[in-house]
Amino acid sequence: MIEVIELEKKIGSVQALDKLSFKAEDGKITGLLGPNGAGKTTCLRTIFGLLQADSGFAKIDDIDVVKDSMRAKQQLGLFPDPCGLYERLTPREYVQFFAELSGMDNKSAQVATQSVLEQLQMTDIADRKCKGFSQGQRMKTALAQAIVHQPTNIILDEPTRGLDVMSTRILRDLLLMLKEQGHCVLFSSHVMQEVAALCDHVVVMTNGKVVAEGSPQALCEQTQKETLEEAFITLIGSDEGLAA
Amino acid sequence: MMRLVQVLYKKEMLDASRDKRSVMAGLYYAIGAPIVMCVLFTILLKQLSSPDALEITIENPQAAPNLVRFLEGHDISHSEKSSVKAIRLIIDTDYAQDMSQGRSALVTIVADKSDNKLIKSVRRLEMSLARYNSEVAGLRLISRGIDPSIMRAVNVQTQDQATPDSKGGMFLGIATLSIIIALFYSAMNLAIDTSAGERERNSLALLLSHPISSTQLVLAKVAAIASYSMVGLILVLVVSKFAYGMVPWEQLGFSINLDLMFILFCTLIGLPIALMSASLLVFVSFMAKSFKEAQSYVAFVLFVPIGLSMMTTYDIATEYVQWAPIAAQQYAMIEVIKGNELPLMQVLLSSASTLVLFAIFTMLSSRMLKSEKVVFGL
Repeated sequence: MIEVIELEKKIGSVQALDKLSFKAEDGKITGLLGPNGAGKTTCLRTIFGLLQADSGFAKIDDIDVVKDSMRAKQQLGLFPDPCGLYERLTPREYVQFFAELSGMDNKSAQVATQSVLEQLQMTDIADRKCKGFSQGQRMKTALAQAIVHQPTNIILDEPTRGLDVMSTRILRDLLLMLKEQGHCVLFSSHVMQEVAALCDHVVVMTNGKVVAEGSPQALCEQTQKETLEEAFITLIGSDEGLAA
Repeated sequence: MMRLVQVLYKKEMLDASRDKRSVMAGLYYAIGAPIVMCVLFTILLKQLSSPDALEITIENPQAAPNLVRFLEGHDISHSEKSSVKAIRLIIDTDYAQDMSQGRSALVTIVADKSDNKLIKSVRRLEMSLARYNSEVAGLRLISRGIDPSIMRAVNVQTQDQATPDSKGGMFLGIATLSIIIALFYSAMNLAIDTSAGERERNSLALLLSHPISSTQLVLAKVAAIASYSMVGLILVLVVSKFAYGMVPWEQLGFSINLDLMFILFCTLIGLPIALMSASLLVFVSFMAKSFKEAQSYVAFVLFVPIGLSMMTTYDIATEYVQWAPIAAQQYAMIEVIKGNELPLMQVLLSSASTLVLFAIFTMLSSRMLKSEKVVFGL
């Protein structure tokens, strides 16, 4: 479970997070929806303890990320934006490295790596160096890294960017499977179809604030619109950022 | 705690070994420097060893036949050949007259004393003239019935204790300098790549999102960089051993011989320096905001150790500097090559202070990584 309480963060002169509060429950997929520059990435980085909030706090499974960051991080898997691949390593080496870094021993990291590579249908590229990978292959590698150690909470920053149809479907199935297994999945996106199709709970944010939250249907009902996209535009009060 | 450092260390080593070109670029120094030094020493030795016969231009020699004969007795003669040195000895037209009347007779040496190639020859000529001077003066005193030893209030005797090896001080200084610098240069690229480069590729934030502390992260990186530094050090030692074997040392009557003991000794005292150098490089690279900026800073910062080492090389180190890290270790290396007693106290103290510096730089880097400005290069 990921909980964000009254987070405030100023970057330069911009109030990136403005008393942001929401909750992502276990066994549910929570979507963080917002236009470009809404503060989605800032929010996720704060949850990871990479950015320090000016006030407020973030909790992972009831562990404060600032007070006990090591234990909090062990409960997390991160799919970052940008991916942060090591171009000179192969996906197998890359994924196994992060598995061990998350506390697995060499043997079990090896096994977990093999199974996640199979799961993501990456065995054909598993032993090629990441340099020269397509966007989709990069995303898959990063995704494998995020889930290899089976963390209770998985955070994905714009996971569908650059994925082809097949990969998007794999990702979707994967997220649903993680949900089945009882994981807490939090992802940020500005792709409506993705959010509408996957999320149990949607948090709409703009200018660092939560403007609405609920299931996709609830949001549609609240705004009396047919689709989530229209509901979203009504909620944020403009159509900025949707072109991206 | 150590397990995570080990995991990251393994990854850094693997990642670096895949980046063959930039690793090799660093190691080229270790291979190239001794060879360049070898060529340089050969040329220097030729220049320094002045030939036995010194040929100069003597103007108006007929005025002073005795002086000219005396100089010839000391292998200094007038010549018109092209090998003549740019030194002129002008004998005054009144020389013969002044001499016969017991007055001070004028001879003038004309030469460019800033010319390093000439300075030894000029000194030799001056010495010979001084000796001639005291010889003639002595004869004059005897003819007046005075014991010439009255002119020698102090009888200065110098006993040259220089062993052949200890004569090559400057050569030893430069040779050891090139060995120590290898520690700093061989892993320079790697250090920048693994810190500023890691941030530029966005993987630093991802690393820090994992349950690894910034101290563990810095330690692993420093260990990997230091490992490559040590590879550079061993390489430079081995290449030096063979390269210096080819320098014609016999011209100066000493030799630089790097035996196995010396190589082992250098490896041992090189380890703290490698750790210190790696932590310094990481610290500077993280301080920079981009890869390119890091490259400039690192090149600049490396002047400090090189400067310390230079002081020892050119023997201008003050009493305090001799105890400073790097300067002291280099001094010890020189003593070991010369076959003198190892300055144990100095080695231990400077190695300890080198390790303290390593700890400080590591701590500073790890503290910097807690700042979001550093991690995201804001």
